[in-house]
Amino acid sequence: MRKRIPTEWYFLLWGVLLFLGVFLANQFLNRYLLYILVLMGIYSIATVSLNLTNGYAGLFSLGHAAFMAIGAYTSTLLTFPLSLREAYELPMLPTFLGGPDAVWPFFPALCMGGLLASLAALLIGAPVLRLRGHYLSVASLGFVVIITTFAKTMKSITRGPMGISAIPSYTNIYWTYLWLFITVYVVWRLVNSRFGRAIMALREDETAAQVLGIYPMKYKLFSFVVGAFFAGVAGGLYAHFTKAIRPFEFSFFLTFQIVVMLILGGMGTIGGPIVGAVSLLALRYALKPLEEHFKIYGLIEIIYAVLLIVVMLFKPEGLVGRRKDTRRVLLGGKSHG
Amino acid sequence: MFSWSYFLQQSMNGVILGCIYALLALGMTVVYGILRLINFAHGALITIGAFFVYFIFFRAGINLAASLFLVLGFGGLMGLLLDAVAYRKLRGGPEVALLITSLGFYTFVENFMKMVVSPQPYAFKTPASLAVMYRTPLLTFRSIDIFIIVSSLLIMLAFNLFVKRTRMGIAMRATAENLEVARFMGIEVNRVISLAFVLGSAIAAFTGFLWGAKYGQISYDMGFLTGVKAFVAVVVGGVGSIPGAMVGGFVLGLAEILSTAFLPTRFAEYRDGIVFGILILVLLLRPAGLMGVKEEVRV
Amino acid sequence: MLNIEHLTVKYGVIPAVMDVSLRVEKGQIVTILGANGAGKTTTLKAIMGVLRPAGGRIYYQGMEVTAVSPVQRVRQGIALVPEGRGIFNRLTVEENLLLGAYCRPKNDAVKKDLEEVYTLFPRLAERKKQVAGTLSGGEQQMLALGRGLMSKPKLLLLDEPSLGLAPLIVRELYALITKIREQGVTILLVEQSAAVALGVADYAYVLESGNLKLSGKPEELKSLEDVKRIYLGG
Repeated sequence: MRKRIPTEWYFLLWGVLLFLGVFLANQFLNRYLLYILVLMGIYSIATVSLNLTNGYAGLFSLGHAAFMAIGAYTSTLLTFPLSLREAYELPMLPTFLGGPDAVWPFFPALCMGGLLASLAALLIGAPVLRLRGHYLSVASLGFVVIITTFAKTMKSITRGPMGISAIPSYTNIYWTYLWLFITVYVVWRLVNSRFGRAIMALREDETAAQVLGIYPMKYKLFSFVVGAFFAGVAGGLYAHFTKAIRPFEFSFFLTFQIVVMLILGGMGTIGGPIVGAVSLLALRYALKPLEEHFKIYGLIEIIYAVLLIVVMLFKPEGLVGRRKDTRRVLLGGKSHG
Repeated sequence: MFSWSYFLQQSMNGVILGCIYALLALGMTVVYGILRLINFAHGALITIGAFFVYFIFFRAGINLAASLFLVLGFGGLMGLLLDAVAYRKLRGGPEVALLITSLGFYTFVENFMKMVVSPQPYAFKTPASLAVMYRTPLLTFRSIDIFIIVSSLLIMLAFNLFVKRTRMGIAMRATAENLEVARFMGIEVNRVISLAFVLGSAIAAFTGFLWGAKYGQISYDMGFLTGVKAFVAVVVGGVGSIPGAMVGGFVLGLAEILSTAFLPTRFAEYRDGIVFGILILVLLLRPAGLMGVKEEVRV
Repeated sequence: MLNIEHLTVKYGVIPAVMDVSLRVEKGQIVTILGANGAGKTTTLKAIMGVLRPAGGRIYYQGMEVTAVSPVQRVRQGIALVPEGRGIFNRLTVEENLLLGAYCRPKNDAVKKDLEEVYTLFPRLAERKKQVAGTLSGGEQQMLALGRGLMSKPKLLLLDEPSLGLAPLIVRELYALITKIREQGVTILLVEQSAAVALGVADYAYVLESGNLKLSGKPEELKSLEDVKRIYLGG
C-alpha cells in the first residue's frame, strides 16, 4: 500500500478545512446534530489515543475508561464554580492548585486532567506493561474497576455514586475539534518518527527489537502515557459536555465501546479510529429513536457486540485498517514469549 | 470488636462465595488450558442459567430437581454453541483476539438479556425447600448454604474423578497441556474442546441458580464481575492447574468476604477493587499462583 | 510399508520439505538425517497426518493415506514419539502411557501391553504414579517411547530420541530401539547425530534445507565427504 506522507502544510490545510467545517456546522446545523458531532469528536479523541497504545504499540489495554474517569473528575473539580462548591460538598482547591478562591479556566483544567491521567498511567504502566498479551488486558480491566471503586468510595472528593452534576458546560464544537486536531497531530508526529518506527518494531517482534537496542519499557510506557493523556482530555471534554458524571459511566462498557470503534475502524492508521468512532455514533443515534419507541433498551449495545464479533471473525483489520498493522496484535503473525 | 460468631459467620459466607468461584474457575481453567482463551463469555452463562431457572421454576412451575438438571443441560448446550459459532474460527490466533471476541459475546448476551428479558433486576426467591433457617449459638444459616456447599463439593469431586479416571478426562488434561502432542496421540482435539466448553458452561449455568437462590436477586449484568473474578481465582490458584482453580476460588471468596468484613466499614465498598488489587499483585509478584505451573505471564 | 512420493510441505508460503521421496520396508530401521531446519520433523508430522502436504502422496501398507486424519493413522498403526519427548509433564507416568493407547478400542488388551511396557522399561514401573515432569531426561525419553508402543504400532516414528541425553543413556536407548524392531515394529528414525543413527539403521536418507540430498546404506554414507560436510563433523 502506498504510504501517504503528508507534509506539515498538508496538515495545516486539513486544519483550516476542519475549522471551516466546524464553523459552518455551528452556523447551520441544529442543536441535536451539533450534539452528535461533539460526541463524535470526543469519542474520536478517545479512540485515536487508544490506537496509539493498542494499535501502534500493540499493547492491548482495556483500561482507557479509567483514564477518562481521572480526566473527567480532575477537570471538573478544577473548574467547578465557587458558588456551588459548598452546596455540592466539594472540597475547595488546595493552595498549590490555586487556593480556596480558585476556579480554573477550561483549557488548563483539561490539560491537568490529562496530566493526572498520564501520571496514573505511568504508575500503573510500569508494572503492568510487563505482562504479556491478554494478561495485560485483564490487568488493565482490573484497573478500571479499581478506579471506579475509588470514584464510588472517595465521597469527599467525588461525591461517590451520586456523581457530580451542574458541571459548567464549556465543551462546544470548537474546543472538541481543536483537541481532536491536537490529538491527531501528536499521534501522527509520534508515529511517523523514529519513536513510531521503534514502537512498531517492538510490536512486531520484541526480541528482535531489543537486539537493535530498543528498550521495550521506555517506549511502551511512553505510548501508554501519551494515550492516557488524551483519554484524560477526552474525559474532561465529556464531563463538561454532559454536565454530569457518575462512576458507573466509566465502567468497562465505555472501554468496550471505544475498543469496538477502534477495531471497526481499523487499528494502525490515523483515520481508522475516527472512521470507527463516527460510524458507531452515527449508528447509535440513527437507531436511538427505534430503541426508545419500542422500548428495547440494549439494542444498540447488542449491535455493537455483534459488529465486533463479525469484524473479528471476518475482517479484523476493520474498515480502513491495514492488515500489516493488525497482523501482530489481532491476527498473530509471529508469536513469542 | 472481634467476636467468634461474627468471624465464623463471615467465614461461612466466604466459603460459600468461594464455592461459587471455585465452580466457575474449574470451567474457565480447562478452556484456558486448551485454548489459551480467557473466556469472558463464561460470565454470561451465569446470567443465562439464573434466568433460565427463574423462568422454568418460578413461572412454568417445573419442580426444583428437574429444573436443576435442565439448567445443566441448557448451559452445556449454550457453551457448545458458543464454541462452534465463534471460537472455533479463531483457534490458533493470538490470545488478545480471542479475549476481545469473548468480550463481544459477553456484551451480546448481557444486552440480549437486558433487552429481551428485563433491564430491571428480578427477585429470586429462595425455593422453600432451601430456605429453612437454622440457628446455632455460633452460626445462623439456611439450607441453601448447605446446598451450595454440598452440591459444589459433589460437582468438584465428580469433575476430578472425570479428569483423573476416565480416558476422556485424561485426554482433556493432556490436551490442555500440549495440544499438538495430544493430536499426535490421535486425540480428536476438537471433540475435547467441545466437551470442555459443555462441562464448564453447564457448571456455570448451575452456578447462576446458586447465586440467585443465595443472594435473592438476578439481573442482566450479574455475570460480568463474577465471571472476571472467576478468572482472578484461576490466576490466584495457578493457571493450568485444576486443583489450583478450586483452591483459588476458595481463597478469593474468603479474601473478598473477610477483608470487607473486618476492615472498617467505609472499606466495605472497596470489595471489587480489592479483588482486582489481588489480581494485579499476583500477576506481578507470583504469576504462577499458588499451585500453578510456570506459564509465561511476562514478556 | 511406507512409501512417500514427491512430498512437499509448506508453512504458509515457506516450503519446508520439497519433493522428497522415500520408502521404508517392513521390519527395517530407516533413518532420516539432516541439520536443524532440514525438514525432518516436518516430514514426520506429514506422515502422522498433523500437517497437510502441499504436494505429493503418502502410502502406508499399500494404501494412500495422504488425506487421512491423525486419529485414523494412529488406529492403523502409526505412532509418533515427538521431538523433545513431548510427554505430558503434569500427568503421571501411567497416565501418559495410557494415553498412548487412547485410540485403541475399549477392551483391547491395554492392561497387558502396559505390563509389557513396564517389563521393557523397568525404571518406568518403579515410577508409575510419579508426575512425568519430575523424571530425568533419559527416563522421559523412555516414557515417550513406551507411550508410543502403547498404541501397538506397526510403524514407529522417532524424532531425535537422543536429543539432550548423555552418551551412556543414548546407548541404552538404542539398544531398546533395536529390541523393539526385533519385536516386529518398523522404525523410521530422525536424528541430527548421524553416527548413532547410522549404527542401527538399515537404510538412510539425508535431507538438506528441505531437499533430499543423499540416500543409501549406512556403510556407503559413512565415508562420503558430503555427509561429513553436512554435519560439520557430526
